[in-house]
Amino acid sequence: MFVEAGHYALTLALGLSLVQFLMPLWAATVRDEALAAIAAPAALCAFACVTLAFAALTYAYATSDFSLVNVVENSHSLKPFIYKLTGVWGNHEGSMLLWVLILTLFGAMVALSRRAVPSRLRHLTLAVQGAVAFAFLAFVEFTSNPFLRLNPAPFEGQDLNPILQDLGLAIHPPLLYIGYVGFSISFAFALAALIEGRIDAVWARAVRPWTLTAWVFLTLGIAMGSYWAYYELGWGGWWFWDPVENASLMPWLAGTALLHSTIVMEKRDALKIWTILLAILTFSLSLLGTFLVRSGVLTSVHSFATDPTRGAFILAILVVFIGGGFALFAWRAPLLRQGGLFAPISREGALVANNLLLVTACATVFIGTLYPLALEALTGAKISVGEPFFNATFLPIVMPLLALIPIGQTIVWKRGDLLGTVQRLWAAYAAGLAGALIIFALVRGGPVLALLGIGLGVYLLAGSAVDIYHRAGGGRVAPGVMLRRAAGLPRSAWGTAIAHAGVGITVLGIAAQAWSTETLAVVNRGDLVNAGAYTLRLDAIFPRTAHNYREDVARFTVLRDGRIIGTLEGSKRIYVTRGMPTTEAGIMTLGPSQLYVSLGEPQPSGGMGVRIYWKPYVIFVWLGSVIMALGGLLSLTDRRLRVAAPVAARGRLVPAE
Amino acid sequence: MTRKQRRLTLIAAALAVLGVALGLVLFAMRDNIVFFYSPTDLEAKAVTPGTRLRLGGLVAEGSVEKGEGQNVTFAVTDTNRSITVRYTGLLPDLFREGQGVVTEGVLESAGLFRADSVLAKHDENYMPREVADSLKEQGLWQHGGKTDAQGGGATAASE
Amino acid sequence: MLIWLIFALMTGAAVLAVLWPLSRAETAVAAETGDAAFFRQQMADLERDREAGLVSEREAEALRAEIGRRLLRAARGEGRSGPEGEPALRRRRAASAIALSTIPLLALAIYGAMGSPHLPQAPRAARMDGGQLDVGAAVAKIEAHLAQNPGDGRGWEVLAPVYLRAGRFGDAARAYQSALDILGESPARLTDLGEAVTAEAGGIVDARARAAFERALVLDPANAKARYYLAVATGQDGDNAKAIDMLRKLLADAPADASWRGAVEQRLAALSMSEGASAITSLPEGEQALAIRGMVEGLAARLDADGSDAAGWARLVRSYVVLGEEEKAREALAKARSQLAADPASLDMLAALARQLSLETDATGAPQ
Repeated sequence: MFVEAGHYALTLALGLSLVQFLMPLWAATVRDEALAAIAAPAALCAFACVTLAFAALTYAYATSDFSLVNVVENSHSLKPFIYKLTGVWGNHEGSMLLWVLILTLFGAMVALSRRAVPSRLRHLTLAVQGAVAFAFLAFVEFTSNPFLRLNPAPFEGQDLNPILQDLGLAIHPPLLYIGYVGFSISFAFALAALIEGRIDAVWARAVRPWTLTAWVFLTLGIAMGSYWAYYELGWGGWWFWDPVENASLMPWLAGTALLHSTIVMEKRDALKIWTILLAILTFSLSLLGTFLVRSGVLTSVHSFATDPTRGAFILAILVVFIGGGFALFAWRAPLLRQGGLFAPISREGALVANNLLLVTACATVFIGTLYPLALEALTGAKISVGEPFFNATFLPIVMPLLALIPIGQTIVWKRGDLLGTVQRLWAAYAAGLAGALIIFALVRGGPVLALLGIGLGVYLLAGSAVDIYHRAGGGRVAPGVMLRRAAGLPRSAWGTAIAHAGVGITVLGIAAQAWSTETLAVVNRGDLVNAGAYTLRLDAIFPRTAHNYREDVARFTVLRDGRIIGTLEGSKRIYVTRGMPTTEAGIMTLGPSQLYVSLGEPQPSGGMGVRIYWKPYVIFVWLGSVIMALGGLLSLTDRRLRVAAPVAARGRLVPAE
Repeated sequence: MTRKQRRLTLIAAALAVLGVALGLVLFAMRDNIVFFYSPTDLEAKAVTPGTRLRLGGLVAEGSVEKGEGQNVTFAVTDTNRSITVRYTGLLPDLFREGQGVVTEGVLESAGLFRADSVLAKHDENYMPREVADSLKEQGLWQHGGKTDAQGGGATAASE
Repeated sequence: MLIWLIFALMTGAAVLAVLWPLSRAETAVAAETGDAAFFRQQMADLERDREAGLVSEREAEALRAEIGRRLLRAARGEGRSGPEGEPALRRRRAASAIALSTIPLLALAIYGAMGSPHLPQAPRAARMDGGQLDVGAAVAKIEAHLAQNPGDGRGWEVLAPVYLRAGRFGDAARAYQSALDILGESPARLTDLGEAVTAEAGGIVDARARAAFERALVLDPANAKARYYLAVATGQDGDNAKAIDMLRKLLADAPADASWRGAVEQRLAALSMSEGASAITSLPEGEQALAIRGMVEGLAARLDADGSDAAGWARLVRSYVVLGEEEKAREALAKARSQLAADPASLDMLAALARQLSLETDATGAPQ
């Protein structure tokens, strides 16, 4: 009965979101605030209903209720309990239910944010959000319904696939979804502003927490997905420029741009129309990502079932919202009050450059991801666009962007002094240069691009430090005062510095991969293989059985300068009754670096084929992303909006425009 | 600077960045794109040796020979033509005779392909899309899900 | 009944909550949340910063001017509100009516089409209490045993049919193959393997299955199952005439009480139907259909007398579908369900069959 009540609640949510969509629009045409106010309780009720539906599905999974087709197909009574629960969203239907749950949760939060968002804007935002919720609820109900029943119910479920029982796989989709869905709120705010015909700093302040939340979760989701691919696929790579990965990277790039342009709007009342456009664009790219992943149109390392009905439905949603969004933009944007212009040499100028580069980088990823599809549709030729393409296009755009970060962080609003800014950053430049030179001397050479990366990474870290130092009045006040001031700096300032330092750490990790090594070898017992500064000695190859698989394990002793550091095991596993082989990479973490062993086939001669990677500082790649997200979270706790005024470097007042 | 000049500066900067990006994309498109072929395509289109490409098809039954070291030789077939592939390295878990495979590498001569990567997919039912398409063209691919009452009868008859 | 009461309560709660704002007399709450208030708060923040020493006096001066400008602009924009009075009241009544009708109507219409309110929940634990053998646990035990002793051919042989029944055809095929590899060839193992492979391919007898059946036929030339599947394969290759001929011969050789007769007859019927007007059979069309119908009616009569034969029921349902008589197929399905109500395994099988043939009337099995 609980399950059916959950299903009914889902259909009720469909009706509620329709009301949430239509009432405020009607109210807006007749200027009736009380009528528009219906949107808030409708959003709250819709959230309650979807929560009930999700709880019902979770209950069905927890109790292995095989009268649900979805549970039969994606669960099994013998799954460990935790994977029964994560199985709720480990499949298409359940994951779309999670999607609408997050969507309505955000809607409910907007409905409750009375103090932060003026009521008219809030109601119109809820209307747009209601339309999005309605579309996706209909998608769930009609093409991906997890509540379809079977009578009589089978006695056992069908999915006990051990490979999919992985915590990384369970956590990564919800994080991505929160990111994607969060951008739908930015989109709703943008359309609401267009409908209302008014956009100002209040709008920017209202939308920023949502964009920031979405961005934080998307960052974590991408990092998590990357780490999962790294340890699970056994190829030692952490980013494959796979279309599914690109699908999440594109909204991230556009979202990062949106985050920065919102700041300009908030502080300087400029870049208004551009910000609206970016908000529409970011959500469009999120929808595009959902379409690419869910419709199965891509060749990809992530395999998803192809279902044309679903693909067509999402495509329709995509067309309606993107088309509708841009049409509304074309119609209403000219009516908005233009924002002010500003000097190119200023923080807002730097942020415009940041936006330009981010959006261009996003465009290259877009072309690289969709061009093969378009070409195939038009000419039938099949091509693959891989790493070399992105190295040649994405990197040259991103490098100047990275170089710009500390400058944008330090330069003042309105009218900056480029020379002064560069002077202030001299320590950061020196640190970057020194970093690159030290590495150059230590490893005697190395690829230019990697050295450049090291230099950029160190410069970014130092740039963040310099920024905080100057904001706290370093060099002008006593050290004690400076520390007190630093502690009292707004959290958004710390958030910015920390997030940018995170970028630096990721860049260092990526650059360090130029010195990673990959050794292919056939090893016999007692053989030695070098990897970085370490030596691996194969001690034994032996079979081992666990309750549902057997594996051939290769155990290595890891030595450094003849000293034993530890042991490392890689294995080739076969789930016997399913006849399913998997490779379990052996990973040993040594500080921020890793040794990574992937096993191949036993050789006719008796040895074992192995692939051994030395991955110096590889942890930095993900650690930096997590730090970026932390910076974002810190900024999120700073709810104040402070109007920027011309604040000169040495306390002088520069004439305002 | 006047308002107009500033606006122009901004637009010029934007155009410059976009222009550079466009140039990069076009440049990269020329050199860094790899075409996908089936063995039949390869012969029909007379691809010149030395070209970098992706080759996809089924691993021919009985064709896998494991040599010393990690050298492997196998044939990729679309049941019409087949091409010998040489590869050194670890094979993916689900590499099996009769299964779909995509390899990337360089065509050495007609009929011999040197692969530097063999793509693994972590789903045992996975059929690389290009392979499925080209097999469909050859009329070899049957949809498992599309069982009519007649086909279903064969399985139920055992009860 | 209770469930409808719950639905009614849920609906009522949702509608009331939505209509609540309309019942409030106070309309304009914008004043306290409007833009002007927002900038006033900003001004207060600035003062706090100045006192904390984060903003110097001169900076604060400039900021105050800027906020002040925005505050003025915001204040000018406010105070425009819609008309009150009679039209607004009428509008709100209309809105209430719309909300009151849209939400329940939409929910009920869609739920009515997609939901299954009459189906009880079936959590596994509750079902196990009935003294049912826990197949899943047994399978897991055998799987664990085989993981340790993959050389135990008997284990594989026990496991394979369980997989087959659970619909895990690929696993079943692998298990049969293992049994075959370990225990050696026998006609039964070969045909079982072929059957599992065929099931995995969705009913298509592919090269691997065919090889297995052919090998079985070498070992046992009279093996009925192998002959049957090879005939099916021939039909799938497009040679219906030959397939029909093979099936006829098989029927002629079959003992009168063979349990699989029906399957062969049904396949024969299907092949003849699909052949249509071509010269597959010497019988004139009407006569041929009559002959098929005769066989089907014979089966129906037998089952009416003794309804315990689950396979027979399945065959009957299938035959009606092949003959295009869906109504009769549904009737037979319903009869079968009532006859076999005590046997959950058969009910599972029937449900699977109904889904496969798109006969489900409960609105539960929307086409996947």
